[in-house]
Formats: sequence, C-alpha cells, structure tokens
Amino acid sequence: MLPLKDFKRTMESCNHCGQCKWVLGPKMRGYDYAEICPIHQRFGFDAYSGQGLLNIAEELLDGELEYESGLVELIYSCTTCGACDINCKSIRDMEVLETILALRARVVADGWGPMPAHQQAARSVEAHHNIYGREHERRFDWLAPDIRLSKNCTVAYFTGCAAAYRYPQIAQDTTKILNAGGVEFTLLHAEEYCCGGPLWRTGQVEEARKVAEHNLAALKKQGIDTVITSCAECFGAFRDFYPRLGQVNFRVLHITEVVQQLIAQQRLTLRNQGNRKVTYHDPCLLGRLSEPYVPWNGEIKAFGRHEPPKQWRRGAQGVYDAPREVLKAIPGLEIVEMVRNEENSYCCGAGGGVAEAFPDFSQWIANERCGEAESTGATAMVSCCPFCQSAFEKALGASNGGMKYFDITQLVAGALG
Amino acid sequence: MLAPDVCSALGQELTRAVGAENVSNDAATLKSCASDCSLVTGTCPDFIAYPRSKADVREIVRIANGRQVALVPVSSGPPRFHGDTLPSRGGIVVDFTRMRQIIKLDAVSRYAMIEPGVTFGELVPALERQGMKLNVPLAPRANKSVLTSCLEREATLIPKYQYDYMDPLLTLEVIYGSGDEFRTGSASGPGPPESLKADKVNPWGPGAIDYYRLLSAAQGSMGIVTWGVVRTEVLPTLRKLYFIPLENPQQMSAPLDALLRKRVVDECLALDNTNLATLLANDLSRDFAALKAALPPWTIIACVAGYQRRPAERVAIQEKYLTDICRSLNLQAQTTLPGAGGMEDAVLRLISGPWNKEPYWKLRQADRCHEIFFLAPLSKAGYFVELMQNLVAQSRCPDVDYGAYVQPLVQGRGAHCAFLLPCDSSSRDEADAVRDLFLSASETLMKKGAFFSRPYGAWADLAYRNYPDGATMLRTLKHIFDPNGILNPGKLCF
Amino acid sequence: MSLPRQVYAELERIVGPDYISDREYILAGLRHPMPSTPVKPHSPAAVLLPATAEEIQQIVRVCNQHGLKFIATVSSLIGFAYPTTPNTVILHLKRMNRIVEINRTDRYAVIEPGVRHGQLRTELMKAGLSYPVAAVGPGGSVLVNFACSSGDNHNQHGASRTNRYILGVEWVLPSGELIRLGSLANEAGWFCADGPGPSLRGLIKGYAGPFGGFGVITRIAIGLDEWRGPAVMPTEGRSPDYKIRLPNDRHKVFIFKFPTLDQLRDAMTEIGKAEIGQAVLKYFNATAALLATQSANDFWELWESGLFQRELSMPLYVYLATNSPEEMAYEEAVLRDIVAETGGVEVDPVIRAIYENNMDFFILVGFLQRVLRLGGAWAPAKLSADSVHHMFEVGKAIPEFLNEFTAKRLILDAPDNFQIISMEYGHLAHIELLFLWERNTPGWGEIPMQVMARSHETEIRHGHHATMPPRSMPMLEALGPLYSNCHIWSEKIREAFGAGR
Repeated sequence: MLPLKDFKRTMESCNHCGQCKWVLGPKMRGYDYAEICPIHQRFGFDAYSGQGLLNIAEELLDGELEYESGLVELIYSCTTCGACDINCKSIRDMEVLETILALRARVVADGWGPMPAHQQAARSVEAHHNIYGREHERRFDWLAPDIRLSKNCTVAYFTGCAAAYRYPQIAQDTTKILNAGGVEFTLLHAEEYCCGGPLWRTGQVEEARKVAEHNLAALKKQGIDTVITSCAECFGAFRDFYPRLGQVNFRVLHITEVVQQLIAQQRLTLRNQGNRKVTYHDPCLLGRLSEPYVPWNGEIKAFGRHEPPKQWRRGAQGVYDAPREVLKAIPGLEIVEMVRNEENSYCCGAGGGVAEAFPDFSQWIANERCGEAESTGATAMVSCCPFCQSAFEKALGASNGGMKYFDITQLVAGALG
Repeated sequence: MLAPDVCSALGQELTRAVGAENVSNDAATLKSCASDCSLVTGTCPDFIAYPRSKADVREIVRIANGRQVALVPVSSGPPRFHGDTLPSRGGIVVDFTRMRQIIKLDAVSRYAMIEPGVTFGELVPALERQGMKLNVPLAPRANKSVLTSCLEREATLIPKYQYDYMDPLLTLEVIYGSGDEFRTGSASGPGPPESLKADKVNPWGPGAIDYYRLLSAAQGSMGIVTWGVVRTEVLPTLRKLYFIPLENPQQMSAPLDALLRKRVVDECLALDNTNLATLLANDLSRDFAALKAALPPWTIIACVAGYQRRPAERVAIQEKYLTDICRSLNLQAQTTLPGAGGMEDAVLRLISGPWNKEPYWKLRQADRCHEIFFLAPLSKAGYFVELMQNLVAQSRCPDVDYGAYVQPLVQGRGAHCAFLLPCDSSSRDEADAVRDLFLSASETLMKKGAFFSRPYGAWADLAYRNYPDGATMLRTLKHIFDPNGILNPGKLCF
Repeated sequence: MSLPRQVYAELERIVGPDYISDREYILAGLRHPMPSTPVKPHSPAAVLLPATAEEIQQIVRVCNQHGLKFIATVSSLIGFAYPTTPNTVILHLKRMNRIVEINRTDRYAVIEPGVRHGQLRTELMKAGLSYPVAAVGPGGSVLVNFACSSGDNHNQHGASRTNRYILGVEWVLPSGELIRLGSLANEAGWFCADGPGPSLRGLIKGYAGPFGGFGVITRIAIGLDEWRGPAVMPTEGRSPDYKIRLPNDRHKVFIFKFPTLDQLRDAMTEIGKAEIGQAVLKYFNATAALLATQSANDFWELWESGLFQRELSMPLYVYLATNSPEEMAYEEAVLRDIVAETGGVEVDPVIRAIYENNMDFFILVGFLQRVLRLGGAWAPAKLSADSVHHMFEVGKAIPEFLNEFTAKRLILDAPDNFQIISMEYGHLAHIELLFLWERNTPGWGEIPMQVMARSHETEIRHGHHATMPPRSMPMLEALGPLYSNCHIWSEKIREAFGAGR
C-alpha cells in the first residue's frame, strides 16, 4: 500500500470537472439515473464525492485540515464503489480510489479511524477469522454431505465470510454447480480465513495483511493454482489487495466465469424454470474494480508522461460479460439492462464498511438502486455477491414492488438438468 | 414649446454646430412631426436638425444636455405608424435622412454597414447588385430606415435566419444620452474603430452585457445610433414559391412548424385574404373585392430556394419535403396562387423588397390605419386570430375590413401576429369606433397571453402596468445612459 | 473563517440544517486551487444548497444585510466559482435540478440550474429534440452555459451559440428581488426573452456571462431544434473506449486538410454560403490527440509520431446531419465541390475513423475533459468571435507571440492548437487558443497571464478583435478602456443594481 503522500499528484490534478459524480456521458439515458456517486447524490456538498475526498486528503496531508468526528464520518460514508475512480480515469490519469483508500489508512494510522463497527469487525477477524465474530469452527457448516470434494487438486473454492455465515445457499449452490460441471475442487476448511477485503477497504491495512498472508500461505501449501469464489468482495480482494503483498501464484475466477466456460464447453445443461424478466446488477468489485492490481513505481515526468509506462486499470476488463452470458443461457429468462450498468453500475450500498457504520445510508443507496431495477419492468434482480444481496433483499423487502432478488448461483443451480 | 429667447439661442447653437442648411424650424415641417397614423398625441418640436456625421450627433446631444432639451431621433420618411417619433415635449427632432451612407457591403462575410438614414429602397437593390439580400419585413416602405427597423425588432420574413429576436441586427455605434460614444460587440475594440480590422459582425458584448439589446425596441430613448451593421444573406439563384390555402387559421401552425423544423423554406408567412388582396390588387377600388372573394381565407406563402451551388438539386429536395409535409397534414401546396393565378411574380416581388408604390399598402384601404401586433407562440397564432375575429364582431365596428398576418419567427418558435385596422379619418364615428376597438382589443389580447414586446403608444401603459419591476429596472438603465432624460422622453415607461 | 453564529442561524432557518455548512471539511471541497494556478482561492465562509428561488431571495437579503458576498455555482468547474475575497458564501444550486417543462409543440424546455447536459440532451433525444451542447462535459449545468458562462459549441454552424436559444429568464437580482424577463413579464409564457421594450435580458449575458456574479438566474427556457438522430445514444463498448455511430445515411463526418489557412478559410466560408452542414470547424490538433487517446503516454506516442501535426494543423471538420439520404447526397456533393475548389484533401483515414466511431463529438462531447489529462494546467485565450475571415487573420498571427513560449519550453509545442468554429452558416466564427503547460516549469504560475497578455498585445497591434474583456474586475478595468470603456458602463450598471465589485 502506497502512503497518502504518494498520491499528491492526483490530489493536485483535480480540476473539479464533476465526472466523478455523474454517469459517463455516452451512457446517460435521460434525466433519471444520471448520478453515479451515492454520497454526493445523498448529501449534496461537493466534499461528498471523489473530488471532495481528494481535496480533503490534500488538506489533511498538508496540515491544513484538522481531524474531527464529522470529517471521519464523511471519509467513511464512501462505499469505495470506485465509480468516481473509473469515471475519472475515462478522462484523466489519476488514482482517485487509491487515494481514498490511502486516506483511510492514514486516518487509521493517525488514530482517528476507522468507525467503531469496523474496529469491531477487525476484532472479530482477529479472534474468529471472520468479520461477524461467529465461531470459526462453523465456517463450513453449509457444506452439504452430497457435495463431492477432490483431494489432490489445484482448484479451491473460497467461500468467504458472507456466504459461509450469512448466505450459505450461495456456497451450496456454487458447489452444486461445480459438481454438476465436473469441476474438481477442494476447500481450505479451517485454513480459510476472512479474505481481508473489508478490513483493507476500511483502512485497517495491517489487520488485513495478517489474514491475507495467512490465506496466501494456506493456498500455497495446498498447491492451489486456481481460486474460485462466488463473492465479489473476496474476488476484489484477491485481484486488488493480494498482489500488493507479493507474488500471487494463483489465478482467481468468479463462479460466473466458470459457469460461462462450462456452458461453452457444454458441460452444463440448463432447463427452463419459468419465464421471468430479470435485470442484472454489476457488483463494483466484480465489474469496474476487478482488474488485477499492477504495481507501478515509476516517475511522472513533464506533461503527465509516466516512466516506465503505467498499466492503467480503467474498468474496461471487468467481469461484465460472463454473468450476462450465463443468464442468457438459462431458458425462459429475458434480461433487461438498467441505465447504470457495467462500468457505470450504481453501488448497492453495502461496500466500504458503509453497511456496518451507516446502515440507514446503506439502505438509502440500496433503495435508489432497487428503484432503478424496478423501473426496467423486470420482476427480479440478479447479482452475484452476498454483500449486494444483503443490501437488496432488505430494500426490496421494504418496497411494495414485488420484485425478488436472486443470486446468480441460485438461478443456475435451480436450472440444472 | 420653448420660450422664444431660449428657442432662438438654441437655434443659433444648433446652427453653429451643424450648419444652417442642416437646421430647420419651418412651421409646416414642425407641425408634420407632431402627428402620425397612430393614436399618440405629439407636440411640435422646436427644431429639426439634420446631422451628417457622428460629430454632428455628438454636438447635438451636447447641446441638448446643456439646455435640457428633448431629442427625438427619426430615420424614416413618412408615413409613420407607431407614435414613437412624435415629440412629447417639443425639443429637437434629429432627422437622419441626410446621414444615409452605405458604408460597406461585404459579400464574403455577408453584412452591410450603414448609417441610420439608409432605407430599404436604397439598400435592397445595392445588395442585389452584389449577390446579397436582406431578411426584410413584409413590404416595408421604401423610405423606411433599415437600421430603425432592425433596432425596433420588426418581424422579418425568413425565420430560419433568425436565431433570436434581434436578428438581423449586429453591431452598433451609439451616442448615449450622456454624450458618451460606445460601440457594441466586436466593434467595441480593442482600440478606436479606425484601427480595428474586425468586420464587426459579432453583436454580443463587450464583456458580460449585451449592450445592443438594451438599445433595441427603445424608440430612441437610450441612445442615438450613428451606424449599424446588419447581416445579409446570399441571394438565391433559384426560387420557387408555394402556396398552401387554408380554410381556417387554426390550420396554419402545423405546416409552418413542420417546414421550419426541417429548415425547408426561406420566406414563409401566412396572410388572410384581406391583407393579400390589399397587397396584390392592381387597382384597389376595382379589383380588391373580387380578389378577396377569390382568395382562400388564409394562404401560407412559402419560398424554397437554391443558392449558388447545385440550386436545382437543393430546390428539388426542399420541394419534396414541403409536399410530403403538406400531404401528411391533408393540405395541398401549389405553385399557382389559389384564387389569383398569374400573380405569383407579384407575390415574389412583395416578399423580396420594399413597397415602392403610393400609397403605402397599409393605407390603401383608408387614409389611416391602426395596427395591433404582438408576439405569441406559433401554436397559438390561430387562437389569437379567432379571438380577434370575435373581438371585432363584438365591437362598434364589426364590419371593419381588417387584414391579418402571421409571421413565424426565430426558427418557428414564435410568431408575429398583426391585425391591420383601416380607418377613414374623415368619419368621426368610424375613427372613434376603430380607436376604441384598437384599445380594447389590445387589452384583451394582452390578458389572453399576447406579448406586446414592442410597446408603442398605449401599449406601454398596458405592458408596464403589470411589470413594475421591469419598468423600474428600465428607468434605472435609462438614468445611466441618459441621465438628463433628454432622449425621446415620454415613451415606454420613461 | 466561520460565519457569525447569528448569521449562520438566519441562513440555516432558510435552507434547513442539512443544507448549510461551515465545517472546514465541507468547505475543503470548495477551495482547492485549480491545477492551472498556484493561487489558492479564499475559503468560502459557508456553503448553502438552496432548493427554490424563494430561498435564494431570502439568502441574498441576509447576505446584503450582513455584508456577505455570495457566488452562485453549480459544477464549480472554473475559477469564477471560487471566492476571491473572504466573507463569501457559496450558493450551490445543484438541488434546483428540475426539468420543469418540455414543450414539444413550441419547442422549448424550462430548466433549473442543476439540470446537466448529460441529462437534458439525452432526455430530449427521446422526444426528437435537441439543443447545442457546449463542450464542457456531461456534468456541466445547462442553465449556466446558456445564461452565465460562454456557450460556444461544435454544432454552432448549423445551430448557434447557447445565448441565442434563451427564451425566458427568471432572475433573482443582487437586491433579492425576483424578476422575470421577456414574455414572462406579461405572463405570456416562455417563448421570447426580449422585451417588453429594451431587452433586459442584455444584462445577464454578453458574449460571455457574469459567471454567477450578478444575482442568480433561477430558471430559464431554452429553444429546441429538431434532432435528426436516434432516440437513444447508440453507445457500444465500455469506458474508456466507447463507439457511438449514427446512421450513416443521414450522419457523416468528414475531415479535410488544407495547405494554407487561407484556403481553409475559403472552404469554411463557401460551406456557410451553401448552407450545408451541422458542424464546421477547424479543430485543435493537440486537443484532438488528447481526446483520441486513453493515457498521457498514449498521447505522447501519438503526438511524437507527428501524425496529428501533419494531418491536423489546418483541418476542416465537417459533420453533415440531414433529414434524408437524398439530402445527405446533395450536401456531400456540394461539400466535395467546395473542398476540391479550395484545395482540400481528406486526412489519413485513421483520423476520420476516430470521429466516425465516436460521433459523440457532435452530441455531448462526453470526454471533453481529457484535455486536462496531461496534468490539468491549461488555459484558453482569445475566445471571442467575428467574421470567419477575421478569425483566420487572428489565427495566422498566433505564431507571432506563441512561438516565444514554445521556444523557451514554457508551454506544450502546439502552435496549431487553436480552433475556429463557424457559426450560423458561416456568418461569424469563434476562436479559441488552448495552451498547456507543466506545473513544474519555473514560474509556471505566471505563464497563462503572460501568454494572454502577449496575445492581446498582438491583437492590439494588428487591430484584431479576438478577445472579449472578461468578467474579473482587474481584467475588466485593464482592458475596458480599449473596448469603448465598457468597464465604466459595466460598473455603473452593476452598482445600480447592487451587484458590488
């Protein structure tokens, strides 16, 4: 993790152009659903935005701003969805999200953060290796007896805390799918700790490092060269956080990518479970923020020239197609897109520690997104992340629209022939 | 009127400033300045001054300020119709009919730089000789000042050349009532005008204020313009007129709007049979009635044009759009003037330049006329035409043979609606009835949403009575540009 | 500096506690210096987010009562949005974001300040309507562009500048009074912004506007044109590599290059006289390279290849948008006649393909802010308008002053990086010179003023009109004497209406 001062150029370069607050122009579709930044949309002041956080970071760095509780809350109200980052990168060579994450790390290092709920999560991970404080021994209670595991294979399914403890159905469906597709896989069992993503994103870098290094060692010990996950948070951690700690000797795939391959290889047959119009929500960490981290330690010369050239992660290579191909392959499903989709997806509200620290605001964001989903005329919303699920199920439950939420694994598992 | 000694001293000062040959206090001439065809009551001025140059204008303004004497700028010859040039408290009429130089015509950048006394009768043929044309009003008087017409935001015939209500006016040089000289837009600088190489065709500014808008429709009450630049257009090499007959005025907005959205037509306007017959009849007393009866109640006149390159191809494409639009609206576009076949060339002449005959067409029906005109959205033109019909029917002169005219403006987003009420001044009863109709109809129309954007005479009271904040702002501006209130006092809200 | 508590309380009563703040961490989002200047703006004393014109009126009265200055802003994209003196309150108008009305019959839209180009333009497309979008990015405020800032746009050859499209104005004066201009004055609706009598609308905007420094415009109506394209932006691909292609039978892009500026000028003039085309412009070449690339390194690779210097030093961009294929065939034939006569040839097909594949250049210019990519230090110069011929005279004189800055390596070596955009079928044209510099250059903070000063000296020497006096008081007072003493009139008007300095 680079320290905050290493992002000074990003902070200085901000022109207040506003791209961090709005859907990219070519993807705008009218008056509604044109905003992309949840905190800016909700709170209105420019400080609540990628631009605002850059300005705050610079003033803190330069000693022009003093800590106070409102400032810390503002910094932690951001879901780190990365919309500001990707939108800024569509036009600029700046690292907005990196700066925000470095800002959080700085807030923690200065003793002003994170929020109490995040500290609790860290204590839970320390004691029980999961963010919920549940018993570590029960992490694999979801494992059904009829699921076949392989010994001596190099593919591991990484469950993740949310699937393991909150949404075991996801883990069950995922493993059922892997079995149905003839994918040999194993589990880390007791060696699977929290991926560290929620800790890293709340600035608790050292705590995150500990669990990540444990997981890396466990994977190495078992000779794993492929990690499959059905959680976007874990996926994002493996792709973005783990490479910062050193060489990562495995590739990580999301279950939707695996299913896409299985369908293409005709190793899965899917049958019609009833006609339904669905809309797909792109999780941030599976979509725009899923490109692997590539370290760069060069110099920025005159007029922005990066030496050596930097490989920019602008969100173009996110996992957008695989989930859609999977849904299209399920007979009876009609897919309609939301306005804010793919790299312009609107956050679910659960990321960045916001669901824990500011549950009401998290729900506000989820409501906004569910409203957009309902506007498509779809009867169901589909995504592939248990954090998104937690946000959307609450919001849909509270609304009278009748829309249901499905994890994509549930639809695939239900359609297995 | 001024006291004799003051008047005499004023006359001497004017003579020293502009020369004896350019100052008049001939009684008959002075009297002719006190009235026009409008209902406005004026007073006789004390002098008429004929400036020949900007320097003359500056001197006249200086003198007027020194003596607190009103100045009324006049640039057009008679007859005049709006009362804006009638002095309300004597003073000096500043007559620009001798300041009439066409300073420059530029066919490449398409503009004309002219002095205030340049008339349509002079400018239109001069432009034609250089392959240009002007977006003109409907059959303006040949002795009408082009600059005044533009300054007063008179409606012009080609909506596609109007991007807002100020077109075709560009930059101006003005002497404010304070005596200060100012140039607008890109004529403003940098540096004095003689050093400036700009063509002076950017009207906006300088800076964050559109000074030319503050001078528009001001009836000479903010400043006296000494030259102006107006936009010109390419003279078409091929023109074809189409006529769309309409049974009722509510039918007109749909085809006009459709034609203007696609920018199919150049000149386009709608005239009722009264106005069209008035304009076209060779001998009014002999031909008017039959012609009016033969013409459809309303006729849209639309001109498609080709310019210098592939004109026939262009016209063919525009014609197809026009006929398709009419067909989709169950209307018929014809190249023959319905009810008056053979008069197509006469129509073309009408829409191409000034009226060159006597009397002026607005005075063909009677020796006086009162015209009610205002702006409205194009979609409401039909409504206002029918409303006026009802108002006339309910008035004391229900049989007055008034003419109606609708001119789409600004790409078809607005329309100029005009009703010409002829009035025989020899009949007291008729004159009174028409006057009453004029006043009451104006008030009703305004209440129903007609926008009297150029509030002449009695309209000023109507317009500003309901707009006190605007009136206050205008007075504040007036005080800035004309601190002694010498420029055409008594007009608008001043 | 915080507001006195009592003043804060008065303002809070107007907008509510959620919509006012003087916390330092909130104000931090509104006092960051632009990358093009080392000068940090004054911190605002507070920021407010009013919701209605009535709230603005009350706020203005409180500010007047307590000697507070205020700036109204929406996207705060340029320097005028930031305080130059202490004791200034920012009114952030983003909550006033309604599209009040879209009238398809009379072709206008009534909007509040917070409505953005990306929203309105795409909403209107669904209705087959359009308006000229200034190149500020999709998050830019429509109202601000039309009524308060500049408003030049790529399509102003077939359309016009945004100020031409204003059909009605609602305005809170510096005194706090609210006034409606034009046809609204007599409750005749939103269709004419001029009158009754002299047009007060002239006070709110000249060539450019007062950038929030003369009361607050709270609502405007803008005229709409017909949109000849599809109802939905036909976007393919993903950021940052979108493709937007319009139907080829009615939308075509051409880019020609000419051996001399005079020939280019003549082509532009003839195209105007022929009344064809939607967009006709000589575009910047370095800016074009920035818009066409996805990183600074990519830009340098392209720029150092010399392709854009060779092909786009004297280019003519033409975008034809017609109602039918037959009309397209006609316009294309006329265009080719003109280009052949004036000595133009098509540029490298690689360049044309860039624009054919991203016709958003003529719709929303979504990626305009890429011009900032090299570090953000940029500035425009000139920015006014006159005839096409005169603008080319101005353009030809640019090397006289610009070369000295490139020779000293103070700015990016891009002498052809100026644009001339034809307006209203070539009746006039707008010119803008864009220059970029590096913040690590010694004395970098002085560079923009030096370039602008030399630019202006060159104009004065030649008798060229290419710059309008800007709104900032020092500049206005310095330049005003050269422009009919407009600074004196501007000052009188502003004082008379309580705008102060």
